[in-house]
Amino acid sequence: MALVGLFVLVWWLGALASGPAYYETFSGLMTSIPGYVVLVGLSWAFFTHLMSGLRHFVLDIGAGYELNTNKVWSIASPLIAILLTAGFWALILNK
Amino acid sequence: MAHDTPIKRVRGLGSAHHGAHHWLVQRFTAIGNLVLSIWLIASIIGLPDLSYATVSKWLAQPVSATAMILLVISTFWHARLGLQVLIEDYLHNSGTKFAALAALNLTVIGGGAFAIFSVASLAFGGAA
Repeated sequence: MALVGLFVLVWWLGALASGPAYYETFSGLMTSIPGYVVLVGLSWAFFTHLMSGLRHFVLDIGAGYELNTNKVWSIASPLIAILLTAGFWALILNK
Repeated sequence: MAHDTPIKRVRGLGSAHHGAHHWLVQRFTAIGNLVLSIWLIASIIGLPDLSYATVSKWLAQPVSATAMILLVISTFWHARLGLQVLIEDYLHNSGTKFAALAALNLTVIGGGAFAIFSVASLAFGGAA
């Protein structure tokens, strides 16, 4: 997932550098149904990784190891990630 | 000795002393990723649209171009470190492991270089 996400980022930057004609091709692909499936999936993977990473920052400083606390955040992190993904797309699609 | 166990062979050799640095850099780049990806998400949401004209003009600005180049470096470095551990943990044949690590390094360095070049060419006005 990480490499797929980075690949799409590189593709986007490369499309920008290639000029308007190729950028049109790129945005056409990305705003097709399969394109949206890929982008929504990647953003979901991104936010899940982000939330999990933040949870591990807390664990790295030695906090949050009590069984209940740990369980709550292990469940909350991926749920918050889904909310962030939904919020992100709501803002993008309402431009 | 035919009856040596792996623990006997490594005992007394100590650690390779590279683990802590690797672990720490993974965290440093994670902080970089956090800050820069929040910037990127806020920017994408904040742009009036995602057309070529809007996005290329935005990315050509010095602050945007610098942040994007730093984001590429931070995320690609972080991905390399994470996937390196994945490869080391799951590929046990030394030939396969070497090939996978070489492919990983070529991929992230090649992809990162292309991404940075693309941003630089926009910023310096050399769009094809």
